[in-house]
Formats: sequence, structure tokens, C-alpha cells
Amino acid sequence: MSANSGIVDILKKVFFIDLIKGLSLTFKYNVSKTITIRYPDEEKWIPYQRFRGLHTLNRDSQGRELCVACELCSKACPTKCITVIPMEDNTGIGITDRVAQVYEINLVRCMFCGLCEDACPTTAVRMGREYELACFSLDCAKADKHRLLAPIEIPAEFEGGYVVKAKLERNKEGIRVRPDLTKKKRWW
Amino acid sequence: MELIFFYIFAIVALASAIAVISIRNPVHSAIFLMVCFLQVAALFVLLRSPFLAAVQIFVYVGAVMVLFLFAVLILDLGRERFGEYLHHQSPIAIIVVVGLIFVIGLGLARGKLDAPLGKYTEAELVKNIEVTGELLYTKYVFPFEVISLLLLVAMVGAIVLVMKERK
Amino acid sequence: MDINTLIEVALITVKVILVSSILFALPIPLTWIERKVAGHIQLRLGPFRVGWHGILQPIADMIKLMFKEDIIPDKADKWLFKLAPIISLVPIFLTFATVPVGDKITVLGREITLYISDMNVGILYILAVAGIGVYGLIFGGWASNSKYALLGSMRSSAQMISYELALSFAAIGVVMVSNSLSLVDIVNSQKVSTWNICYQPLGFIIFIIAGLAEINRIPFDLSEDEGTLAAGYHVEYSSMRFSFFMLAEYVAMVLMSVLAVILFFGGWSGHAILPPIVWFLIKVSAFIYFFMWVRFTFPRYRYDQLMTIGWKILLPLSLVNILITGLFVI
Repeated sequence: MSANSGIVDILKKVFFIDLIKGLSLTFKYNVSKTITIRYPDEEKWIPYQRFRGLHTLNRDSQGRELCVACELCSKACPTKCITVIPMEDNTGIGITDRVAQVYEINLVRCMFCGLCEDACPTTAVRMGREYELACFSLDCAKADKHRLLAPIEIPAEFEGGYVVKAKLERNKEGIRVRPDLTKKKRWW
Repeated sequence: MELIFFYIFAIVALASAIAVISIRNPVHSAIFLMVCFLQVAALFVLLRSPFLAAVQIFVYVGAVMVLFLFAVLILDLGRERFGEYLHHQSPIAIIVVVGLIFVIGLGLARGKLDAPLGKYTEAELVKNIEVTGELLYTKYVFPFEVISLLLLVAMVGAIVLVMKERK
Repeated sequence: MDINTLIEVALITVKVILVSSILFALPIPLTWIERKVAGHIQLRLGPFRVGWHGILQPIADMIKLMFKEDIIPDKADKWLFKLAPIISLVPIFLTFATVPVGDKITVLGREITLYISDMNVGILYILAVAGIGVYGLIFGGWASNSKYALLGSMRSSAQMISYELALSFAAIGVVMVSNSLSLVDIVNSQKVSTWNICYQPLGFIIFIIAGLAEINRIPFDLSEDEGTLAAGYHVEYSSMRFSFFMLAEYVAMVLMSVLAVILFFGGWSGHAILPPIVWFLIKVSAFIYFFMWVRFTFPRYRYDQLMTIGWKILLPLSLVNILITGLFVI
């Protein structure tokens, strides 16, 4: 057995079997598709629906705010990053007469655990798919109610897990990567 | 034209040879030795002997000097400045050198240092390799073999010395 | 001097200028290609930002290198430190004096040879002069007065001695088959019969392995081993002096590819559908790709393994190769 394997070993060395194996593997890689996502210039990764990105405050089908300012999310938050101040309101912007006067998430402290989402009784707080949160000043590290209520770019029913074509946009508000959801492809 | 080149090469060779023995830094003198070898190779080219020139570069510049430098690097002689190392040999050396120059000059004056030109024509000399090979394996086969035996003995000797040191 | 001699002199001058400017410019596309190959082998894209698919990246790098501060270490041997990059660069350029890229072409009724000079000791000259290039590494490492650089240059000098023997012995096999030391004759002899690779498979393998060691490329780039020696012999170099070393390395890689093609793959001989020079370029670029491919496939050998391969495997094998070739030639 050992003599046999010794001969095989020598033959392997003589004909560079292992070296050729390695070379063929790297050649295969060389001609195969690359895994690079050309973010932010040309492509952008759209995460799956389960992704926990920037929170969104949602509205119901009539456009009323779902949030009833019960402060459960604030209580559930392990980093105490959510500030909720309730107020009474009967103009009908909320589903009840109790709405949030201030709803603010400190994104520097938030660790995107999603416990607020679980705590919310009205499915008002949901973790969205926005992940480009870097900015130039600490002001934008706070997400206020207005920002959270703003309509989201990627529709919730859009199935994630794609690399889509995107365009890098620079303007006064900063740099944004605007995805084009119609041109999508599976990543690798 | 050829004469001008000869003088250029010869003068540079001589100057670098003097530099080799007068410069104290061993690595610097190694460079000058290299320059000297290259000039000698150029002289071989002028003598219609490109094969010898290539071998000169190959063996002396390419291999011997690399080994020499390797030894210098290992032994770290670079920083050392040798002191007076000519222990009272200078008078004897000067006498010997003067005698040598006298003998060579005498030979030149009497025309005895004129080596006879070979029987080969210019065209044959350009095919230098064939001529060299032929001569080495016919006329000069005995010295050739003796030299190779000598080198073999030297190599075995070196190995034996190293083996002894290891024990 | 009559007009013909003048034209000859002018032609040679033009050829020399052309060859050296091509060699100076060659690393620009080669670095780009190397980085692209590296990227794609590692499933990346490689440089992509400057120009189309990053094609202007080498130029950006060049500009960056030119404006870098040229640092000479305080305790360095300044004279040698400045000399070393030039020593490593010049010999490798000199070798291209005898490298033929084709036989003859006729322009305006005048035969123009596609080589600067067809020496009758061509291959010997190339191996000899290319060997001088290692002094650049040795002096550069020594003059830097740094431990890493010194270790790198010691490694490269030992490596060079060990592998030049095997390299030249592998070439001798070809010389015996082709019956000439001139590169043009070697190619022409392969035109008559088949390529030398058919007669010298063992010689080819030895040549390629020893050649990899000779031009200091992975898996034998012990002298600039990033893992253990930082960057080896050029660790103290910066700016243009550093780029001289890089330039020399790339030109050496081109030289080794050209030699492999001329000695074993019939030079510019090929099917008549393409002109000879195109065949030559295709073969050479295939070898250049091979060297890059090997670089991003294999890990580096250990120093003792390097010595073992050189002295205990390649050298005896190359002697055996010469012996077998001798028996066949007779």
C-alpha cells in the first residue's frame, strides 16, 4: 500500500498533477464571472425583505399614521435610542386621537436589532431596506418623524436579493445612489 | 576606429583595476572589478572573439563576482576599514613590479612578444565557437582535461573542508 | 563612407531607439494586465476607476510615483544606492540587442532585419548579460543598509547562482538540437523541422522553472518576499528609483517569454494565415499570461526548498537532458 502510494506520489510530482490542478482552478476563476458589485457607480445591492435597515413609520391604506405613540418601542429598545412624545390630535392624521408629536431615532446609538418592530402593536415601525446612512454631520444621524414617514424608495413588495443598475447622484443634500429596479440580476 | 576603442577599453580597464586595489570598501572594489571584467570582455570582442567575451561575462561577471559578493555580504566586511595590510611588503613589491615592467619592455623592444596569428581567416574567426571547440577538443585536449580535473579536485576539497567543519 | 553604410547606421539607430522606447513603455500595459489578471483570478475586477476598465491606471500610478519623495536612507551608501536601479535596468535592456522578433522584411526594395544584431553567440550573450542584472538587486539591498534589504539581496544572489546553471543547461539542449547559438538560426532550424518543444520537453520544463527563478517571480520571488522580508531588496526605495526596479522586473519577464518562444516554440514561425510577427507576439503574450497566471496561483517556496529544487532536482535533470540530447544528436 505504502509503496504503491509512494509511486503515485512520485508520478504526481513528475507530471505536476497538483500544480496543474491549481492552475486549472485559477484559470476557471479567471474566465468566470466576478463577484464585484460596482457600487456606487453602476450597481447597487438591494437587500432581502427581511433586511433590517433604516426604520420606516407606516401609514394605513387611507394615509393615516399607524403610530399611536404608545412608547412600547421606546421601552423595548435596548439602547434607548427612540424618543417618543405623544400628543392629542383629533384632525385625523393618526388612526386614533393619540399620535406622536416627536418620534426620533438616534441612528448613532441604534443597533438595528429590530426589537422595536416586534414591540409595535400597530405595525407602525418597520425596519426598511435603506442602508446608506453615512453623512457628513451629526444632524442626519437623527431620524425624525418626517424622515421616517417619507415614502420609501424600494417598494415593500419588491423581492430583494438582487443587484440592480444604479446611478450615483451628487447634489447639495449629499450623495445618493439611485437604483433602477427594472434592471435586476441575481448576484453570482 | 578600432584603435580608439581599444584605448578607451584598455584605459578604463586599467583605471578600474587600480581602483579595485586602492579602494578600501570591498563592495565598491567589487564593482570596479566587475567594470574591469567587462572591459576585458570588450577587448575580446575587438579581438574577433565574441564567444570568449560572452564566456568572460558569463563566468566572471555573472557567477564568480556574485559568489564573491555573497561572501562579502555574509561576512559583513562592508563596514570594516582595513588598516595597513601591506606589512613591509611595499619595497619588495615595487622591486618586483619594476622588474616585471623591465622584462616586458625588453620583450616588446626585441619583438619577442609577437604571438603568431592563427591560420584562421576573418570569416572563420567570426564562426568563433566552432573554432574554439575544435581546438579545445583536438589540439588542447590535454590541458583542457587537466584543468577540469584540477577544478574537480578543488571542488571535492572544498566539500571535504566543509564536511570536517560540521563534525 | 558611402550612402549605404550611412543608411545602415541610421537603421540600427532607429531600431535601437524603437526597441528601447517600446521596452520603456511596455510595463505600462503590462502592469494593467497583471492587475486585471490578478483581479479576475481572485474573482475581482481589478482596476476599474481610471479610464475604460481602468486602462489609464498605470499612467496614474506613474504620475504618482514621479511626484513621490525620493528618500535615501541616512546611513545608506549613497553612491551605490543611486547606482543600483540603473544596474538592474541597463543589462536587461542590453539583452534585447540580439533578440529577433522576425526574420527580414522588405521595405522600399531594401531588406530590413527585424533584429538589431544577429550575434553568433546570441543565446550565450543574453544569458550572460541578463545575469548582470542581479547586481542591481545585490547592490540595492546592500546599499540600503537595512536588514530586510540585505537578506533579500543575499537570497537573490544565492538564488541566481543556483538557477542560472540550470537555465543555461536547459538552453544548451536547444543549442545542441539546433546546432547554433544564434537566435535567428535557432528559429530557422525550427522552421525546417518541428518546434523544439517536441524534442526538448524536459528542457522546456527546466527552462521555465529556472526562468521563473531567474526573473524573481512567484513561486521563486524569495528576494522580495512580502511575507517575511517586507519588500526585500527594494524596501528602502521609493519614487522613480523604485519604479526602475519594477521596470527591470517586467522587462525581464518579457525577455524570459521571448526566450521561451524562440528556443522552444519556433519563434515567429507559424501557419501562413497570419504574418510572422503576429505569431511571435501571440506566443509571447501567451507566455506573459502564463507567468502572471502562475504568480496568482502558487504560494512562495521556502528558501531551503528553493535550494533543494535548484541543486538537487533541476541541475541533475538538466545534465540528464543534455546527455539524452547528446545521444540523440549523435
